[in-house]
Amino acid sequence: MFEKILIANRGEIAVRIIKTCRRLGVKTVVVYSEADRDSMAVEMADESVFIGPPPAAQSYLVADKIVDAVKKTGAQAVHPGFGFLSEKPEFAQRLADEKIVFIGPNPHAIHAMGDKIESKKTAAQAKVSTVPGYLGEIEDVKHAAQIAEEIGYPVMIKASAGGGGKGIRVAFDKKELQEGFPAVRAEAKNAFGDDRVFIEKFVLNPRHIEIQVLGDKHGNVVHLFERECSIQRRNQKVIEEAPSPLLDAKTRAAMGEQAVQLAKAVGYDSAGTVEFVASGADKSFYFLEMNTRLQVEHPVTEMITGIDLVEQMLRVAAGEKLPFAQKDLKINGWAIESRIYAEDPYRNFLPSIGRLKRYRPPQEGDFGKTKVRNDAGVREGDEISMFYDPMISKLITHGPSRLEAIDAQARALDGFLIEGIQDNIPFLGAVMEEARFRSGNITTGYIKEQFPQGFQGVEPRAEQAELLAACAAYAHAVQTARARQISGQMNGHGVAATTDWVVIVGETRTPVAVHLTDGGADVTFGDRTVSLQTDWRPGKPVIEGEFGGEAFAVKIAPKPEGYGLKLRGVATTALVATPRGAQLRKLIPEKVAADTSKMIASPMPGLVVSIDVVAGQEVKSGEGVAIVEAMKMQNIIRAERDGVVAKVNFAAGASVAADEVLIELA
Amino acid sequence: MKEIIDALEAKRAAARAGGGERRREAQHAKGKLTARERIELLLDEGSFEEFDMFVEHRCADFGMQDQKVPGDGVVTGWGTINGRLVYVFSKDFTVFGGSLSMAHAEKIVKVQDKALQNGAPCIGIFDAGGARIQEGVDSLAGYAEIFMRNIWGSGVIPQISVIMGPCAGGDVYSPAMTDFIFMVKDTSYMFVTGPDVVKTVTNENVTAEELGGARVHAGKSGVVDGAYENDFETLIQMRRLVDFLPGSNREAPPTRPTFDDPNREEPSLDTLIPDNPNKPYDMKELIEKVADEGDFFEIGKDFGKNIITGFGRLDGSPVGFVANQPMTLAGVLDIDASRKAARFVRFCDAFNIPIVTFVDVPGFLPGTKQEYGGLIKHGAKLLFAYGEATVPKVTVVTRKAYGGAYDVMGSKHLRGDVNYAWPTAEIAVMGAKGAVEIIFRADIGDPEKIAAREKEYKDRFANPFVAASRGYLDDVIMPRETRKRLIRALKALKNKKVETHWKKHDNIPL
Repeated sequence: MFEKILIANRGEIAVRIIKTCRRLGVKTVVVYSEADRDSMAVEMADESVFIGPPPAAQSYLVADKIVDAVKKTGAQAVHPGFGFLSEKPEFAQRLADEKIVFIGPNPHAIHAMGDKIESKKTAAQAKVSTVPGYLGEIEDVKHAAQIAEEIGYPVMIKASAGGGGKGIRVAFDKKELQEGFPAVRAEAKNAFGDDRVFIEKFVLNPRHIEIQVLGDKHGNVVHLFERECSIQRRNQKVIEEAPSPLLDAKTRAAMGEQAVQLAKAVGYDSAGTVEFVASGADKSFYFLEMNTRLQVEHPVTEMITGIDLVEQMLRVAAGEKLPFAQKDLKINGWAIESRIYAEDPYRNFLPSIGRLKRYRPPQEGDFGKTKVRNDAGVREGDEISMFYDPMISKLITHGPSRLEAIDAQARALDGFLIEGIQDNIPFLGAVMEEARFRSGNITTGYIKEQFPQGFQGVEPRAEQAELLAACAAYAHAVQTARARQISGQMNGHGVAATTDWVVIVGETRTPVAVHLTDGGADVTFGDRTVSLQTDWRPGKPVIEGEFGGEAFAVKIAPKPEGYGLKLRGVATTALVATPRGAQLRKLIPEKVAADTSKMIASPMPGLVVSIDVVAGQEVKSGEGVAIVEAMKMQNIIRAERDGVVAKVNFAAGASVAADEVLIELA
Repeated sequence: MKEIIDALEAKRAAARAGGGERRREAQHAKGKLTARERIELLLDEGSFEEFDMFVEHRCADFGMQDQKVPGDGVVTGWGTINGRLVYVFSKDFTVFGGSLSMAHAEKIVKVQDKALQNGAPCIGIFDAGGARIQEGVDSLAGYAEIFMRNIWGSGVIPQISVIMGPCAGGDVYSPAMTDFIFMVKDTSYMFVTGPDVVKTVTNENVTAEELGGARVHAGKSGVVDGAYENDFETLIQMRRLVDFLPGSNREAPPTRPTFDDPNREEPSLDTLIPDNPNKPYDMKELIEKVADEGDFFEIGKDFGKNIITGFGRLDGSPVGFVANQPMTLAGVLDIDASRKAARFVRFCDAFNIPIVTFVDVPGFLPGTKQEYGGLIKHGAKLLFAYGEATVPKVTVVTRKAYGGAYDVMGSKHLRGDVNYAWPTAEIAVMGAKGAVEIIFRADIGDPEKIAAREKEYKDRFANPFVAASRGYLDDVIMPRETRKRLIRALKALKNKKVETHWKKHDNIPL
């Protein structure tokens, strides 16, 4: 085993690698850019080497600087993490030339799998199932029908020069093909001036399923089963799990076997991932590509196999043999991973960078049947920088079954507090609750199909509403009881303790009685009393404990007229009043909030670079309408709904404050 | 006897009915509660004791003798907020539009006198149409009597005005002289002359909301200290405010148990100051991470945002926070910020509330707008207020403390009791660039030389150690320890006593 390695990466993956190295007694060196000077990885590593300005092209991507750092520190090997230099064969080769060990596959394997077309050819040669199709010239409809017959319906007819969704049709039978083929051809000619068309198998209900493989330098390759990563937004994975709810033992074995065949065919000697698209309709699967590195979502595999992938990468890189054979490997339970991103789910997932004013991840470790793990590279007070990926952390939970893992994930998300920037936790919480996701009937189109209008938050279920009411009432009762202990009270005029409260959420009024106890309160709804157990005290941003025996965590923030509460995808404000106070509150009509859905506001202060629409112009949801430069970054401001531009309030060159309305829609 | 009791009950019922069912409903339809309902929400339930319920006006002109409503348009009395005594008057818009008669004024004066005599806050709720014109000069006399009590009470008892409806003409000057004014958005306005008169005199077309709505006064004029969404929210917040204030200048501010650890450290404060000295950061984060339970009652949130003022608690005892806000205009001192903070500092000093100052100030704002507006005298107000204050004063310099603004912001030289700095502090006459361009004017043409000089100046002054070596700072502290150190400092200052020269009163540059 190595004595010292260098990690050519940053953030959570650098921290992740350091953790394993510490356990193995391997010393670590990290490199860091200007932006990462005080990062958690730098703090944790045994040594650190400065490699330049924040942009990756001037620091993390410069092979010379990494090699210099290795020489300077005497590290024996380099772990590239993922991204940056991890899949650059030149880099692996360069290290080999310098007699530095690359903790990853050999340059030949990286090269063989690096090219999308080459890798497909290699896969086909290795008898890996690829998407059936016909790449040659198609003469006419008759020829097309013959090809489709061979491939098997449904098929996709695609313009060779196509793109952006244009020039694509799906045919489920011969009739549709006979209509579709000439149509696509005509469209292709019109749109691209090129009427060449090809046909390939259309994968119904496509799901992203990938096989983790692991090889050593002695020709051994095993697979560590699959991960499903179908929950994606704009091709970015959001939620991953292992195993996949789609696969049965037979399909799993077949996919694993093919992945191993492919890995063997290219002499693969590290951790890698073979990606497939699988059909939710008939479990058919086809090779997409192979990633010759550690994947972001590798922890779910670790959780179900008990194998530390980073450790194995180090061991095989050091020349050790794999300590297990395929027959030794078993799936234990289920693991779910959520990627926590710095983005605003309520504003079409607009990136939200800045300072982590509060960062309180849930407690990690074993909780009875379930486990919680949080892979992060940040601490409270750190900055989510515009220079790198806006991922804050990866939250992984493990349970005996899929639903137990999902529920553990949802609970952990409930207790995960981030303030100062926006995060996607409410969205992730909503997905964990959503019936289709829970059923496992997911596809890569899940987010688009399930949240067609984007994410606007969800309404609480009855038992959630009850929990939220109990939390608000408890918080208020504790605050009120404490307020009664203020000094300077008139003798004999101390305020009597109240137990009856009304929790007001919008139009809903819930009368509750709160009897404070040593470790919480008894909360009575009508004739039913539920025990609330918590050690919450004013000032704590999360109220957690047990409600009616069920573990929960709710984010709570005092507001001028009540308490802001967050649970799963629910975000609401609850007002707590005495019964008389509630009567009086009812006399005040709710103000009609100004309709802001027609307003396109600048989410941040900055300089208007351009306004790309004029009054009277029609815009579609998601269309860019303006560019605002903030912190030297150009941010495209998009319409959040369809409409016609009624008014443009700013011109290029103007300064705009946060939330100022740039454009109004009719 | 029974008859007498019945008669009393009938009289009480008549008084409680105010202007009658129809007018009460009209009040509700406007989104407003009635005078009595407001008192109910402000005070502890069942604690209100009403005075002068049976008072009626004595006007006999213009047919007024036939229109009498017991109470005469204002509800007065006392009660408790969390068990502590407060006096209150609440104008009843349903009776003569809440207009002020001599009898009405006498009722208010009575609670003002009692509050002053007994050392308890006086809270006025305004929702009224101004003078009772039928009473002529009697009404004006009534106003002046109220004004006089405002003046007597100033600095002796906390006086709070809550504007929950119209407040115009003579009615505005009593609130103007109280310590704090708050308004309700959309349902209240406040001006000396209304839109009609404005139109006649200046030909300006302006709505009541544009002329004197809550947003205008909270954000533009700075007349009011805060604006809330509705009556309910406003009154809850008034209860919260009163919990920070002593009954009078004769007592210490109230304490209450806290769930927060006085020794709590906040490691994230170590990275609050960005590496780039020109990058802003949110000073409110510091206040919220230092104060007990993160609880901060901000005064003047929307006005002069380059300075933050407000109340919090440290280990259960109230303090007034004053802090430059780098997020707005780099935290510079200008007219608005100086006025806002000066008044706040003087309030704290008058009512024995220690002042905690966080400093990150690049100086005073330059420009004709500021100079023509009298920045010299407005800036001097803040300087004066800090210098004359004898309450415990603890100051922490987080980053920049440049020039005269350094002196102003609770410096040692203005009798700061304990002055700390974070390691990131820079205490200097000005920024390095400006300083070098003056000292080394001859080198301006040579960028290399200037850069070298700038570095030299920075190394010498862009740190807290020069000031610390003179004793102008008592210690350089780690940001994460700020809460702990503040609490210790204030505990040591608990029995602070300062003798001042006898004077009738000072002559602050108003």
